Amino acid sequence: MIPISYNVRSLAVRKTTTFATGFGIALVVFVLAASQMLALGVQKTLGKAGDPSHAFVMRKGADAELSSAIETPKVGLILAGPGVKKDASGKAEGVGEIVVVLALNRADAPDQISNVQLRGIPDDGLGFRDNLHIIAGRPAKPGADEVIIGKRLRGVFKGLDLGQKFEIKKNRQAEVVGVFEAGGASYESEVLADVETVRTSFGREGIVSSVTVKLEGPEKFDAFKAAMNSDKQLGLNAMRETEYYEKQSEGTAKLITFLGGAIVFFFSIGAIIGATITMYAAVSHRRKEVGTLRALGFSRLTILSSFLLESTILAFLGGAVGALCSLAMGLVHFSMMNMASWSEITFSFDPSPQIIARGLVIGALMGVVGGFLPAFRASRISPVEAMRD
Amino acid sequence: MSALIKLEKVGKTYFRGKEPIEVLKDLDLEMPEGAFEALMGPSGSGKSTLLNLIAGLDSVTSGTISVSGVNLGAMSEGQRAHWRSQNVGFIFQTYNLLPVLTAAENVELPLLLAPLSSAERKTRSLTALRAVGLEERGHHRPDQLSGGQQQRVAIARAIVTDPKIIVADEPTGDLDRVSANQILELLVKMNKELKKTIVMVTHDPAAAERASIVRHLDKGQLT
Ligand SMILES: Nc1ncnc2c1ncn2[C@@H]1O[C@H](COP(=O)(O)OP(=O)(O)O)[C@@H](O)[C@H]1O
Ligand SMILES: [Mg+2]
Repeated sequence: MIPISYNVRSLAVRKTTTFATGFGIALVVFVLAASQMLALGVQKTLGKAGDPSHAFVMRKGADAELSSAIETPKVGLILAGPGVKKDASGKAEGVGEIVVVLALNRADAPDQISNVQLRGIPDDGLGFRDNLHIIAGRPAKPGADEVIIGKRLRGVFKGLDLGQKFEIKKNRQAEVVGVFEAGGASYESEVLADVETVRTSFGREGIVSSVTVKLEGPEKFDAFKAAMNSDKQLGLNAMRETEYYEKQSEGTAKLITFLGGAIVFFFSIGAIIGATITMYAAVSHRRKEVGTLRALGFSRLTILSSFLLESTILAFLGGAVGALCSLAMGLVHFSMMNMASWSEITFSFDPSPQIIARGLVIGALMGVVGGFLPAFRASRISPVEAMRD
Repeated sequence: MSALIKLEKVGKTYFRGKEPIEVLKDLDLEMPEGAFEALMGPSGSGKSTLLNLIAGLDSVTSGTISVSGVNLGAMSEGQRAHWRSQNVGFIFQTYNLLPVLTAAENVELPLLLAPLSSAERKTRSLTALRAVGLEERGHHRPDQLSGGQQQRVAIARAIVTDPKIIVADEPTGDLDRVSANQILELLVKMNKELKKTIVMVTHDPAAAERASIVRHLDKGQLT
């Protein structure tokens, strides 16, 4: 009907207000997309380690590895549970690991101390994690005071980089001999060492924090869990590994989504009001043009649609800019406290097509909402009145 | 010549708040097909009001207006808009071209309401621009044209849909003598060659001289 070029060029003529309005909408879409990308990044980081055919066992009542302790003799019982996969030599595939917290000086602020998770793994612990790869250096030797670190810890703490040493306990140095990556999983923010090294350094002889076993398949889990949880004397609780990691990340992801949503809510009210004011100004500025179009025979509905389209184009373009800028957040990584383990975990913004699409739709929608009243007013302009101005 | 436009006992009253302003009163008028009518009169006498009624832009308070036997009073607002797009070409004192569109796009605008292909629209708007001598200026925007040229583009826009009637409200009011004469010559040409019935409101006796019929309006009455 009325060509879109009319709207686009009218927007281009009023550069300043168009820019200001588009900026407001860009900001909203940016915050929206970035917070969702962060929530997704958190979920990916904390949830990636999970495998549905892995079962994860902790002491009953513990909600994180740090507060769980299982006596070593029970590890054998767990590995003997129903459905646990055996390797070629008939050995049950599973690892008992111990997790403790290291307090280390930060590299960027040497007088500040933050926590890092130190995970003690048995000799076969590295092989157990299929997604873990050494990307620099070599694996730690069993029994030696050597560790490997997740790639996201590099340079964050004093002494925590390849070839450097740090105090694992008072007067006992451990050397970083390797760096690993693990497809973005949470232990990319952990230090891995031999289980005995950790036990002797922290006085935790005879216990592990958790036991992870490979099952013959995901469907074997229910029977395994029943066997673990039914024995009151064992005092154990089995979860799917995926379920465990999701639980760990749920709270954080929800918090970020909620905070992002709250900011977006208030910002978007501002941006919608901005769009409304801009479009009201455009309508009153173009009364005579509208009157002319009406005289030529364009209907009220056509006028309404044209102005609605104009604010939608404006908002869509603003939103597209915001979405584009949010993609740049993909380059940003930052650390925050993991509430579950009280240690530093590094997060990233994870873009997804859905997040970008949602941002674009919500941006355009703000144009529709903000533009409706002005467009309605435009459609009510009487051509006779407009010509008398 | 038969009457194309027929007004019977037409009254038009505006309200300023609660206070009625009777602009036209019991007006009887017949305008023959193919005429070039000039409406003169002091300002505030109701010339524009009458023109807007004839053009189907406004509705009567009492009486009837019919054009080619069609009663405009019986139409809804939407029907009148559609009727205007097919039957009336508008020329305004201030040209009223859309400033962000080129001359050619402005001329093409009314054709967007007709069932025509893009190619047909382009051909017709070029023909209309040629008729006003501006086929070279199609890609120019209104602010790149003189007042006289803008009014010629407006004339092209008024004739592009091939309407029966052209209404012009003081079409030379903002122009110098030379440009005004060009516009008046074009209107005469549209009237003679294209057989358009033209109703023109004007203050200017020199403009009225070009018309075939001149009427005087005073205080809502023909004199
Ligand atoms: N929409 C309106 N509301 C109130 N008064 C109006 C309106 N339109 C016209 N009038 C009044 O009607 C009278 C005639 O106006 P108009 O037809 O524009 O006169 P002309 O074109 O002859 O100068 C004027 O007094 C004007 O103030
Ligand atoms: Mg007037």
